[in-house]
Amino acid sequence: MIAEEPKVKNIYESEELLTGCQAVAQAVRLADVDVIAAYPIRPYTEVMDALSKIIADGQLDAEYIIADSEHSQFEIVKHASSVNARAFAGSSGTGWCYGFEALVVTATDRLPVLFLVGNRALDDPGAFGVEHNDAMAVRDMGWLLAWVTTPQEALEHVLIGYRIAEDKRVRMPMALAMDGAFLTHSQHMVKIPTSEAVRQFLPRYDLGDGRLHPDNPISIAPQVNEDWVMELRRQNWDAARRARGVIKEAYKEFNAVFGERYSSPYFTEFMTDDADTVLIGLGTVCAPGRTACKRLREKGHKVGFVSLRWFRPFPTIELRESLKRFKAVGVIDRDFAHGSPDDGGILLHEVRSALYPLKNRPAITNVITGLGGRDVSIEDCARMYEIAQRSKTEDKLDNFVTWIGVRE
Amino acid sequence: MIKRVEINYRGIFQKNLGKKIGSDIVIIASGMGRIGFSNGRYSDSPERNGIPCKYFAFVSHDLSEEELEAECGAKLDIDQCDISVVLDDTMIKGVEPWGWHGVRPINEKVQPGGTLLVVTKKSQDELLQFIAKKPYSWKLATYSGDLSFGGLWVFRDDLTHEKTLGAVAGIDPDIIGIEAVEKYLKYKNPKEPARAEAARQAYDEVRKNVRTVKPGEGVEWKHEIPVLPKWFQFMEGAAVPAVKRHFELGPKGQSRNETFKRGTTKNQRPVVRFDLCTKCTLCWLECPDQCFDQTSDGLYDIAYEYCTGCNKCAQACPVNECIVMVDELQFTEDSSPWDAYKADPHKYTDWAEEKKRKGRYIHPMVTGTGLEFVEGELVPFGGKPRAGQKG
Repeated sequence: MIAEEPKVKNIYESEELLTGCQAVAQAVRLADVDVIAAYPIRPYTEVMDALSKIIADGQLDAEYIIADSEHSQFEIVKHASSVNARAFAGSSGTGWCYGFEALVVTATDRLPVLFLVGNRALDDPGAFGVEHNDAMAVRDMGWLLAWVTTPQEALEHVLIGYRIAEDKRVRMPMALAMDGAFLTHSQHMVKIPTSEAVRQFLPRYDLGDGRLHPDNPISIAPQVNEDWVMELRRQNWDAARRARGVIKEAYKEFNAVFGERYSSPYFTEFMTDDADTVLIGLGTVCAPGRTACKRLREKGHKVGFVSLRWFRPFPTIELRESLKRFKAVGVIDRDFAHGSPDDGGILLHEVRSALYPLKNRPAITNVITGLGGRDVSIEDCARMYEIAQRSKTEDKLDNFVTWIGVRE
Repeated sequence: MIKRVEINYRGIFQKNLGKKIGSDIVIIASGMGRIGFSNGRYSDSPERNGIPCKYFAFVSHDLSEEELEAECGAKLDIDQCDISVVLDDTMIKGVEPWGWHGVRPINEKVQPGGTLLVVTKKSQDELLQFIAKKPYSWKLATYSGDLSFGGLWVFRDDLTHEKTLGAVAGIDPDIIGIEAVEKYLKYKNPKEPARAEAARQAYDEVRKNVRTVKPGEGVEWKHEIPVLPKWFQFMEGAAVPAVKRHFELGPKGQSRNETFKRGTTKNQRPVVRFDLCTKCTLCWLECPDQCFDQTSDGLYDIAYEYCTGCNKCAQACPVNECIVMVDELQFTEDSSPWDAYKADPHKYTDWAEEKKRKGRYIHPMVTGTGLEFVEGELVPFGGKPRAGQKG
């Protein structure tokens, strides 16, 4: 950013009662997105309802295209992005899966589209409740993937997301994940930034010589054979590694404009200073988790909670540095990985892998919970702490993975 | 201190009304420097016509946004509430929002000392005929208003919204204060002072109409609550057994779904004059929920537990005054009307006519003056004589 630009006087223009989806719609307006492709599926759909009204009211000048399916929806924004239009789409659950082919190639084509994923259980059976497996499906494909937990955070991470995704050192699509119902549909007071403040932070989207234009003769995604694929994969792999540094820069810039909103980009720690046992999880499970933590602290237990925000790129070094201080780590998975090593959940494998190089590793346990929108209560989280605490002293737990909340 | 408000409404007709009330509670509380958030009960959606649904609002003075979210957020339903608002008084007969839920009491979540707040023109004594007893004391409060129905996607602009805000303030100013309600309504509707006035009137009215309900006062709840099976106790492959085909003549002769009856969807039920029936079969054919049972004399009995009050039978019946929709709160049980008719045709017919006289109403679709109770034609037993026939 240009150093001489004056500090923004008015950062926020109003405060309104918004759902997570509506907050994202406001951010898409503020980011001056050019192309939006819509296709309905609960619970992300409301963002598209809100955007259609914003455009109809003349508050945003954008192309709004209703696709015939998620596959077309994702293809539309991918192509729009390739011609240098800032693009937005989204989906949930089975809809997200329907367009999976397009999601894969958006990443390999290095196109920085931002998607809202309203986490929803995968069909069958028909279920709308939250589960994380939908967004998780792109984790290996070269995507940015982050979970937010409040509508305010959701609004801000659309802006932060575009900033990171479009950075020339990154050029990766972003999946902004948000718990279905609990965040997509829950209404909270949200402070809406001014366009002036957003312009100060978020530069215009510029693909440079990567954009499709008659004056810039390139072909994107021609047929390749064994001579090329491995090098292309290596390019993507490197971009994901560079993204870690760009993420840190982006938050610094964000805080410079909006005030110290985020002291730590990758995850937030709660009561961890002298903790010996922590739980770590993604999404709104942090709410009962932190409350359980507080209540146990009042009883003298030294516990803490780590709320992970960025899943891809995974903050290996920072998380390892943080978690190595503890004797026990309980990993909360609001997802499943049937048949995986020890039958643990997705986050469990990531965390355990990150901790592997340590000489003195914390004891690690896994809880699978909250699937299909099942409530996770404060008492459930207290139980998770208890399981993690027991693992400090017990050599081997009978059940390394515990399902909490299932009827059994 | 956390205040929890649940708003019971008739999906999908009152969806916008319920949501606006919940949202406004949060906005007004925020304006007072309090913290709040709101959400619907996610599993209610997609809302079938008439199915009982809930919206929630949570308010705190001392907790942070995050703490309030931790205590009340990221949940499907609530465990208890300070106020349970009821926007359609017929829901006091019980609520069954989805399969395997069972018909539950409307005051199920009202905590000790909490309030069931009902907009109604009925007396509190009348309402208490239907409400389940609790082991502790709680309060019943009422404010005057008609059933606010406007049709899909619309809520009736009949001031129920504003009255409800005033009534909530009347029950518990720690949620929202009446001055803040008035200020907010005046700010949102500067050219319509009647809105803020309606809130104030409901506020005054409800404070005079709060009654403490003693422990054990109310009805014994007779509906079974299903026990959900454990993970190893049902079929694999996301398959469920369907209702076995079974049919015999007579009341409840058809096999029906025991785990989801849907009878609490209705706010009116069809009353039948069996003496006038011409056995045209149209009611039985047209009923979308197969609520009619063929009987041995060719008449059609109604399984009221399953009736959703959709009105198709009344529309389809070609005979004047034969099937008429009547206010659901006129009825205390769901026994077979055909059995009653066969036992004593005249007594049954008098009973049917009395119900029609007291509970037949129409609600004008455009902004109007509320429900209109009407009288139909009193057709004598067996029907009016046709031209050329003896009476």
